Amino acid sequence: MKSQPKLDLYKLHKAEYVATRKPVLVELKPASYLAVSGQGAPGGDLFTASIGALYGMAFTIKMTRKFAGLQDYAVCKLEGLWWSESAANFAKLPKDQWLWKLLIRTPDFIKDDDLRQSVAVLLKRGKGEDVKRVRLESLAEGRCVQMLHVGPYEKEGETVAVMKAFAEKQQLGFAGKHHEIYLSDPCRVPPERLKTIVRQPVRPS
Amino acid sequence: MRTITLQDYKRRLLRVLVHIQQHLDDALGLHELAGLACFSPYHFHRIFKGMVGESVKEHIRRLRLERAASRLKLSTAPVTDIAFDAGYGSHEAFTRSFRAVFGASPTQFRSSTKSRITTTARSGLHYRAGKPVSDFKATQPGGKSMKVKIESKEPLRVAFMRHVGPYDEVGATWDKLLPRLGKEGLLGGDVLILGICHDDPEVTPPEKIRYDACVTVDESFVPEGEIGVQVIPGGEYAVTTHFGPYQKLGDTYTRLLGQWLPRSGRELRSTPCFEVYFNDPQSTEPEDLLTDIYAPLQTKPRT
Repeated sequence: MKSQPKLDLYKLHKAEYVATRKPVLVELKPASYLAVSGQGAPGGDLFTASIGALYGMAFTIKMTRKFAGLQDYAVCKLEGLWWSESAANFAKLPKDQWLWKLLIRTPDFIKDDDLRQSVAVLLKRGKGEDVKRVRLESLAEGRCVQMLHVGPYEKEGETVAVMKAFAEKQQLGFAGKHHEIYLSDPCRVPPERLKTIVRQPVRPS
Repeated sequence: MRTITLQDYKRRLLRVLVHIQQHLDDALGLHELAGLACFSPYHFHRIFKGMVGESVKEHIRRLRLERAASRLKLSTAPVTDIAFDAGYGSHEAFTRSFRAVFGASPTQFRSSTKSRITTTARSGLHYRAGKPVSDFKATQPGGKSMKVKIESKEPLRVAFMRHVGPYDEVGATWDKLLPRLGKEGLLGGDVLILGICHDDPEVTPPEKIRYDACVTVDESFVPEGEIGVQVIPGGEYAVTTHFGPYQKLGDTYTRLLGQWLPRSGRELRSTPCFEVYFNDPQSTEPEDLLTDIYAPLQTKPRT
């Protein structure tokens, strides 16, 4: 299973994926993602089906290009945006009210046509209807506070508090959706060793 | 039928060890040695290495050097003859190997009075002229104890492409297989990405290693060109997770088959092990890679 990485967006945009135990400011340029949205608890049926659909699309698009001899690239890690309609802090609400958008960063040369083609073959293979919910989206987060969280997702509040204090010290306030980049697979890595980059867009307060 | 014990495993390996000592000058074949121990040729070498602490090849080489050392001390035969008997084509090659083990050249060793004839081996196995080996120390599982679970699997239908050649070049085969399956939508859903290694890289020459790159598929998939279909048999498997680079998978196989297995009360079936990959090596650091190793078990005897 050894393979040379062709294009790795995380390595190419290294400054955007700083993962330190102390909060830092980072500047995010607009970036392209495969995205799928939903509502409900992480680990619920819709959530799980959405992750499957997102990965199915990501690898089908990548491999279709690779087969055609077009530029190869590494499929990036899973990321997620989390928010709620009613509260500033979604984490305080019951989980069935959580809104989320799952993301996989994708090279700019991936277009809607690539998605349409892959949806068609996955549907033909009977791999589930959820692939139809996967979209191509651009995200421009601009200035963000970012920090590495190590441990269970339930304890992320502590990391967010540190980030908030760091932002306030510089007259910055949280603005925009809570963003997580999952460096570890929660099915395989014990909760205390899970690594997650937490990113939070900010603007002058 | 009673449960197999560590003593049984040792007894079976002893048959092989005695045979090796009695036939130090013969070319010893894999099937012949595996057959003596009633182990499947698929697994014999890993069990041997795990229990004895060195591969069959290393073991034979060490015993031949010990025999050479004893001849240097106890006979007046020319060094060249002794080198040849130890399986070396040239005086230089023999001297190099001999020095690496005994810390002196064969000539220095012969004239010195205090040189030890035996090498260090945790197994306690050494060359003894005319005295058949009767016991050895099986390698103790060291470090953190190995987490192994027994899993019952349904048969797995897989599309696969065969790689014949060095193990570290299997990436090229994956690079052919995955795009072909991927563009057909066959990487969507809950597929497993797995590898079957038919040969042990420790004993099979690199150019002859057979490895199948596999992706699980349903009944609708038909073999096409270089892509075949096979069914991995169902049944019980011992499963452990290897953490880290693929290059070090061999160490985990050796611990599972050579240290955990002999103490487990279980025996292996004569089908190859397989490994399931959980990460995309293109976007995962080697030390973060996770791989499950599946070793096929015989049905547990009723007690």
